[in-house]
Amino acid sequence: MSVPRLDFDDLAGGYGTTEVVHGISGAAAAGQVLCIVGRNGVGKSSLIRMLSGHLPAWRGTVRLEGRAVTDLPPAGRRRLGISYCPQERPVFDDLTVRDNLILMRRDRSLDGFAPFIGRFPVLERRLDQQAGTMSGGEKKILSFARGLAEMTPLVLLDEPSEGVQWENILHMADLIRERRAAGTTFVVVEQNLAFAERIADRYLVLDQGRVVLEGPRSAIDRAALLPRLHV
Amino acid sequence: MDPILVTQGLNLVFAVAVLAVLALGLAVVFGLLGVLNLAHGEFIMVGAYCAWATTAAGLPYVAAIPLAIAVCGGLGLTVERWLIRPLYRRPFDTLVATWGLSLLLRKAAEAAFGLSFRNVAMPLPGTVRVLGTDYPGYRLLLIAISAAIVGGLMLWYRRSRTGLRIRAMVGNPDLAQAVGIRATRLAAGTFAAGTCLAGLGGVMIAPLVPLQPLMGLDFVLRSFFALVIGGLGSAVGLFAGSAVIGGVDSLVSALLDATWGYFAVLVVAILFLWRRPGGLFAR
Repeated sequence: MSVPRLDFDDLAGGYGTTEVVHGISGAAAAGQVLCIVGRNGVGKSSLIRMLSGHLPAWRGTVRLEGRAVTDLPPAGRRRLGISYCPQERPVFDDLTVRDNLILMRRDRSLDGFAPFIGRFPVLERRLDQQAGTMSGGEKKILSFARGLAEMTPLVLLDEPSEGVQWENILHMADLIRERRAAGTTFVVVEQNLAFAERIADRYLVLDQGRVVLEGPRSAIDRAALLPRLHV
Repeated sequence: MDPILVTQGLNLVFAVAVLAVLALGLAVVFGLLGVLNLAHGEFIMVGAYCAWATTAAGLPYVAAIPLAIAVCGGLGLTVERWLIRPLYRRPFDTLVATWGLSLLLRKAAEAAFGLSFRNVAMPLPGTVRVLGTDYPGYRLLLIAISAAIVGGLMLWYRRSRTGLRIRAMVGNPDLAQAVGIRATRLAAGTFAAGTCLAGLGGVMIAPLVPLQPLMGLDFVLRSFFALVIGGLGSAVGLFAGSAVIGGVDSLVSALLDATWGYFAVLVVAILFLWRRPGGLFAR
């Protein structure tokens, strides 16, 4: 049996003395999209922040292609091939859109961004504008483009469709599917079921910091998910 | 043109330019890392003693520049690693820690050089005629060097890859980590750059002031006041703060005496802290 691209085992963590994620396990293979869904405040973003390294795990293990990365800081995980697009403050507000995109590029060029600029013309229109002046949805698009253009084997997306127009959500889904076909693994925290259904291979459904439902998309239908997404 | 007016005008430009360089290191460390380095003046003192050691060894004055950068840079990296890094995001603790460091550096200088004053010979003696008035050549050179250092650093910060990453780290540290910026290394480099700039400032002013271990205190206060008045985050603010402090000091000192000049600086700084704590050009 091959080693999964990402697996996490018995992950627990939280803030201060409050544990919000209680021993969650899961895995995603190469070229697979794992969607983490659930109501607000059930621990979805905390879990993905533990995968990115922004929230320390109190116990449990995170492995990238079999290698434990639990103790690595976010920058160390990024160097090993984990890209992360956070839900909150997803861009560098004080930098221009161009600088947000080319920040870590040695040649400081926009080569490689053509698929994103083609689908999201707002990026090209606002290239020399400060990212902080963009709307919430536009910032999400910029963050999404930056994350996917890093061409890492694993991309973590925290609510990428939040505030984004439906037309652009469909473009995001297309881009994820293209990269998935090329072997990239995605872990996506999402509340928008219509978007999740377009991209998910597997679901991890959380409630109160625990997994309540897990399995391939074919085995979990909308009727099973809806009660877990809305109060 | 009235020679007194020309001399006072050049004195003002000189005071502003040199204060801008002396305050630059403090501005870099405070503005980018949130650390108010109370030992900044002692790094200026270390730089000045590097200049003294260079001339005492019979080496050309310019040799003091790499020496000060090496000593202050090495000290800065060591201090950042073992003293500052565990205290980031704890402003009061860094204040106390750097105050302790300033005492340590002063005592170390006392042990090495004693409390007596030392002088450094002028590396560029003589005067240059400006608008019909003779003005010290070394002071004119320092004005040019100060403008080059501040302008060059600001340009580098705006245009270079590392400058871009520093701006990203300062604006959004969590995202900076997520995109792979080595924040720890960048912060260490930034702190060391601040101490190197202080050392460089020390080399520049060494021939103009008497050297002794307590000399740094005055410089850190003036630098801090310049930041308070100018506000953090821009070259314009740095120059504006230096202009107000340097200008008030020069003007009042010329009209009355140096004590009144320093008193006027304190009054202006207190007024700004009271009425406009963000400074003239707040970020």
